[in-house]
Amino acid sequence: MFRRRTSGENYLRGLSPFSGWRYRGDADGVTETTVILALVVITALGFDFTNGFHDTANAMATSIATGALRPKVAVALSGILNLIGAFLSVEVALTVSNAVVRIQNSDGTPKDSLTSDGGTALLLIVLCGLIGGIVWNLLTWLLGLPSSSSHALFGGLVGATIAGLGWAGVNWNGDGSKLDGVIGKVILPALMSPVIAGLVAAVGTWIIYKVTVGVAARFTDNGFRWGQIGSASLVSLAHGTNDAQKTMGVITLALIATGDWTDTKNIPFWVKAACALAIALGTYLGGWRIIRTLGKGLVEIAPPQGMAAESASAAVILASSHLGFALSTTHVATGSILGSGVGKPGAQVRWRVAGRMVAAWLITLPSAAVVGAIMWWIGHALGGGLAGAIIVFVLLLAAAGYMYWHSRKTPIDHNNVNDEWDEKTSERVPAGTAS
Amino acid sequence: MHNLGFALEGAWKVLAASLILGAGLPAIFALGIRSLAWGAGGDAEVDHAAPNPAGKVLGYVLFAVVILGVLLGITFIVASGFGKALSFEHIYPTIVDK
Repeated sequence: MFRRRTSGENYLRGLSPFSGWRYRGDADGVTETTVILALVVITALGFDFTNGFHDTANAMATSIATGALRPKVAVALSGILNLIGAFLSVEVALTVSNAVVRIQNSDGTPKDSLTSDGGTALLLIVLCGLIGGIVWNLLTWLLGLPSSSSHALFGGLVGATIAGLGWAGVNWNGDGSKLDGVIGKVILPALMSPVIAGLVAAVGTWIIYKVTVGVAARFTDNGFRWGQIGSASLVSLAHGTNDAQKTMGVITLALIATGDWTDTKNIPFWVKAACALAIALGTYLGGWRIIRTLGKGLVEIAPPQGMAAESASAAVILASSHLGFALSTTHVATGSILGSGVGKPGAQVRWRVAGRMVAAWLITLPSAAVVGAIMWWIGHALGGGLAGAIIVFVLLLAAAGYMYWHSRKTPIDHNNVNDEWDEKTSERVPAGTAS
Repeated sequence: MHNLGFALEGAWKVLAASLILGAGLPAIFALGIRSLAWGAGGDAEVDHAAPNPAGKVLGYVLFAVVILGVLLGITFIVASGFGKALSFEHIYPTIVDK
């Protein structure tokens, strides 16, 4: 709570009982930074929450579609496992933004040029980046499209950085020593991971059906439902460890920028707990629209396919994080489910739905970037301080409220998530709103 | 385009590991179910063969292999969370510092 004086700040000397230190909350200009910091923390937790419900489908869509788990049980299980997973992520993800933008030094501390004004410059970029990510997550949820939350976050940060620091502020291609930059950490994995996951799921599905020829369908379905629950749980746990970390890193970066935290090796416990809870609550809420698209829209999934798909997802996610190959859970899960449709002889794959998803993936990063950049310009035009931050925050609330209100017109929840998929209806209205 | 090289290098490793774990384990699980059906006989199989106790034993052995594989996966998640890594240096997995 104590903050070191910086020369550029305008406050009354001598008010503080601590020489050279000042208690936050004194009546001076710095409380402004504190309010902006609070907005950043709230927005970051909001992003973490959307990250949770956007990705429930990745783990649980297949189990819900085949009836292996009742919808409410599935989201509860996934939420709990995400909570546990988030607490397991002890590793510090403070440098998460370094993959795409240059607002941090390599040790995780923010660039000095961005903190000379008490951290406001950095806070505004982070705030606008987060808003870009949230707005895109909500829009794709409304349309029932499983897009990548990490791409949305990175996109928002890239956009806000371009607006704030120019094109040179973005780490496009890394320095050539390792897989890095927007291309290496975001675009290439996004192109490759669904193909890998799809291939693995297709092979798995094909083998499973070959092996169980001659076994009664009722017998196999029961067995594979158990396999599905196990593999889906593994995906949920891995998701908690991977995704909650990103928000923890962003919040800690903001805290360091304002001087409220100095340790680059650890994350404050309350940050970890808050992020874990936010992602778990989001997961429990369940993004039913996306669950419906993934579970019913792409492929009519039978239990053996569901198990093959989730096993492929779990294996690809774990193998990639072991080898330091960053990827999006969403791309992997979608690729796996498609693969399980390709691998089953005679199964129908709705390529039109798949095409719409791929289109959403392609525009996720640029769209979130555009939102992030516009938000930064608005905030900057209003002085870049407290007024700007409050206005962009209010804009976020308005956009979120509008999209929530819009979603209530064609509600999808645990009651109708498994209704038959009607291709005609889903052509007229966005995917996932059928029946 | 150094990034493409790094990505392809990572991609084939991920593919190889995922095929073994992500398609191999479900295949063993499927064999386990087939064995159980063989053990149960009657309505469990399309040809209504007589039950065979060996099938049940074999089935549970195969399930045990799958469970071991899954436990390995969970160990990996937990270990990497605490800054450790799984090493396959000695064939059997051991937990080492990253």
